[in-house]
Amino acid sequence: MNHALRRISLLVLALFLALLVNANYVQAFQSSSLASDPGNGRTFSQQFQYQRGSIVTADGKTVAKSVPVKHGTFSYQRAYPYGKLYAPATGFFPVNGTPTGIELAENKLLSGNDPTLAVRNLVDMVTGKPKKGATVQLTINSAAQQAAYNALKSIHRPAGVVAIDPSTGAILAMASYPSYDPNQLATLNGNKFNRVDKGLLSDPAQPLINRAINATFPPGSTFKVVTASTAIGTGKYNSSTPIFAPTNLNLPDSNKQLINFDNEPCDGGRPPMIYAFTVSCNTAFGNLGMKVGGGKLHRQAEKFGFNNQGLKIPLPVSASSFPRVSDPAFTAYASIGQFNDTETPLQEAMVAAAIANHGTLMKPYLVQKVTAPDLTSLESTQPAVLSQAVSSQVASEVTKMMTDVTQQPDGTAHASAGTAASGGTVIAAKTGTAQNGINNVGLDDAVFTSFAPASNPKIAVGVIVKGGGLGADASAPVAVQIIRAYLASQRG
Amino acid sequence: MPVPRGRRRTELVMLAFAVGVVLAAYASAGLGLNGKVPSGLAGYGLAFAALVLVAHLVVRRLAPWADPLMLPLAALLNGLGIVMIWRLQQAGHGGNPGVAISTMTSSTTTFQIAWSAAGIAAFVAVLVVIRQPRTLQRYTYTFGAIGLVLLVLPALPGIGSEVNGARVWISIGGFSIQPGEFAKLALAVFFAGYLVSKREVLALAGRRVLGIDLPRARDLGPVLMAWAASLLVLFFETDIGTSALFFGLFLVMLYVATQRTSWLLIGGGLFLAGAVVAGKWIPHVHERFQIWLNPFLGSRPYGSAYQLVQGLYGMGFGGVLGTGLGHGQPYVTPLVQSDFIITAFGEELGLTGLMALLLIYGLIVQRGLRAAVAVRDPFSKLMACGLAFVLAVQVFVIVGGVTRLIPLTGITTPFLSQGGSSLVASWMMMALLMRVSDTARRPAPQPIQDEGMTQVVRTG
Repeated sequence: MNHALRRISLLVLALFLALLVNANYVQAFQSSSLASDPGNGRTFSQQFQYQRGSIVTADGKTVAKSVPVKHGTFSYQRAYPYGKLYAPATGFFPVNGTPTGIELAENKLLSGNDPTLAVRNLVDMVTGKPKKGATVQLTINSAAQQAAYNALKSIHRPAGVVAIDPSTGAILAMASYPSYDPNQLATLNGNKFNRVDKGLLSDPAQPLINRAINATFPPGSTFKVVTASTAIGTGKYNSSTPIFAPTNLNLPDSNKQLINFDNEPCDGGRPPMIYAFTVSCNTAFGNLGMKVGGGKLHRQAEKFGFNNQGLKIPLPVSASSFPRVSDPAFTAYASIGQFNDTETPLQEAMVAAAIANHGTLMKPYLVQKVTAPDLTSLESTQPAVLSQAVSSQVASEVTKMMTDVTQQPDGTAHASAGTAASGGTVIAAKTGTAQNGINNVGLDDAVFTSFAPASNPKIAVGVIVKGGGLGADASAPVAVQIIRAYLASQRG
Repeated sequence: MPVPRGRRRTELVMLAFAVGVVLAAYASAGLGLNGKVPSGLAGYGLAFAALVLVAHLVVRRLAPWADPLMLPLAALLNGLGIVMIWRLQQAGHGGNPGVAISTMTSSTTTFQIAWSAAGIAAFVAVLVVIRQPRTLQRYTYTFGAIGLVLLVLPALPGIGSEVNGARVWISIGGFSIQPGEFAKLALAVFFAGYLVSKREVLALAGRRVLGIDLPRARDLGPVLMAWAASLLVLFFETDIGTSALFFGLFLVMLYVATQRTSWLLIGGGLFLAGAVVAGKWIPHVHERFQIWLNPFLGSRPYGSAYQLVQGLYGMGFGGVLGTGLGHGQPYVTPLVQSDFIITAFGEELGLTGLMALLLIYGLIVQRGLRAAVAVRDPFSKLMACGLAFVLAVQVFVIVGGVTRLIPLTGITTPFLSQGGSSLVASWMMMALLMRVSDTARRPAPQPIQDEGMTQVVRTG
């Protein structure tokens, strides 16, 4: 019988091997797909049982943190001490559904589940220390952010603004209006969360949209920075080259005419480019755009960051769009930012930042560094070049023109962003007033792109206020307030 | 020639080690739950150590040649089971994290410890009463009758009760007992006795088909009867696990007794056919198959697959190293303290802990089979083989079920699950296996040597 017994032993061995292999499959290989199954309450509620990492600003203000509570199985609740102010950056971390903003983009580090934290977690487990998430430090400067949100709030229209450090790409401010209070969505009561979330989603003001990076608007005349850069980049133009600027520009193969704002003539019809830029002649840049051609404009726009579908800061950024046009009439419209061009406030800031940084466009980023609970640095963002948008000569010519926009008495932003308004700082800028609606009956969007100080740029700001009217009136003061607040905080 | 040794000292050292692991687990669970070493550590520790020491002393006295690993392995499993039940019972109580498990009361752990004591008492009793495994052979048909009665008891109206779709319980005076746990012991004895006396006949070959010797048609009777009985269990108690357990037990013992592979093939085919038919026609069994094939198919939280899915989540959550005792959320899985206790271990001790548990089971089974190989008496051989195999199949059915290797069927996890019947029956099984091992390893009486004085010859 021993022969049969040995065979039975082999059968038993096979049974146990099958169990062992299957256990390996479930716990080692299937484990991550089980964890990400939407029905898995363990992964989920676990996140409210230990302290999730904080989100802090570059200057150390805590904008999101976990506070101890007692709510059923939950021991911690998310709190956002500044409410609506940082909502576009932090997002929220809900008890049901998917987090948003940095809470989503840096979820693994904030929750402490990132592989880089595995060894620390193991040590903590052995020593019995509770698990804790990593702290994410943003690039946001609290003074600039506060100024940005306050300025948008006082205008009380849908708007977005982004401020960038031109030399690194670090995002200094990112505000959206109207905003929402993430504290309302941090409730641990699932039913209450659903109610609040539904209310915000159906709110016609759409407070959940981050207009700074996820809403696009026509750039209007601020696009003339790109058109001028393209023209100067060809080598045939500089800022003092006289260019054709009639009162009415007849568009080829079309019965339409391009006109200047309020039908005014532009300095006798043949001003130097810098003058046409300063007073923002549509006919001059429409014609210039036709001369350099849609293909060149398209390439130049892409170097500034247009049509980039995959930009992440690490929040996903909606692509700004400059379609390739060949028809001269459409090219003329596109050259002054009026055809199918759309852009985000971030793109608006990136154009100014590239000019400010001698033509080099840095990749914008929102996360400065991530620190483990034991305060060791886990990762820190190194500035990276996104593209060489223009040469440094082109950049300095465009800077000259953008400076005249605020410094010359007839510049479109002289009143709103001149040295009187800016407290002595020389701002380089371009205004835009994008027409909207059928036959332009809608309210114009106010657009403003700028950097300062012009001679030694520290900050670039892009502002878009939907229905704000003239760019110089609605958007320029927003940028000026951010620039002043930021430069003051840097001096302090 | 090496002097045969009883190795009781090895057993004592291993027992001390097992008690140490259990107490460390208990302390770790307390620290994991609320950062405090449980206040009952010394008391429970002493009680548990005393229990296993009693078992050890009895073995020393009554089965000195028994395998030295079986008792420590069983004690380790039993102790870890108590720790896990304590940990589960603590969830959501006294400020501990988690949700209280409604199917557990504050005295669950105490009951489990009491049942462990009862189990060890049963272990001692078996060793005391049965000095020679062969003596059981005399009561072959008595055990057969007992086994049959125990098997059908839950199906009887009045005392049988249905829990979670399977009728495997009887309630007597407030106590719930799973008679099937004891039936498998009785039937292993019955099959061993029956097959030893009938194996010559059953081994007779009939026609040869495809290189396999088929048994004679008239010898198929007992197999068909066992098959019918297991199908009846399946049908009336809707319990595919128990049914597989008994039929598998019978088939393997039949195969070992007759050495005819054809019996395994015929029987396996019959069982599969029965299972397929049951899967089609018995709604409860059909549902189990569907859950096994597509647990994530339904809408969340996956309806009737909820328990299985929660168990899988738990094991995935534990990953390779586990959350640590007290840090996981095993309390989410329904009935985690009984059928699904292995998923709680998988979650909190990780793949590492789960594999260690499986290896402990594997070692016990291997030790049992080894005793079967070593013992000379055919009855003891068959019985030990049957007992070891039934333990292996039980572990396979429940662990395979909760880890979705095979369709899930409710069956207890030996030594770990909450509940007395399983614990007492498992300890009795250990006693029987150790008794066989003791018989097998006992040195043969020294032959009277030519030279020298007449010696006293020890027999037995």
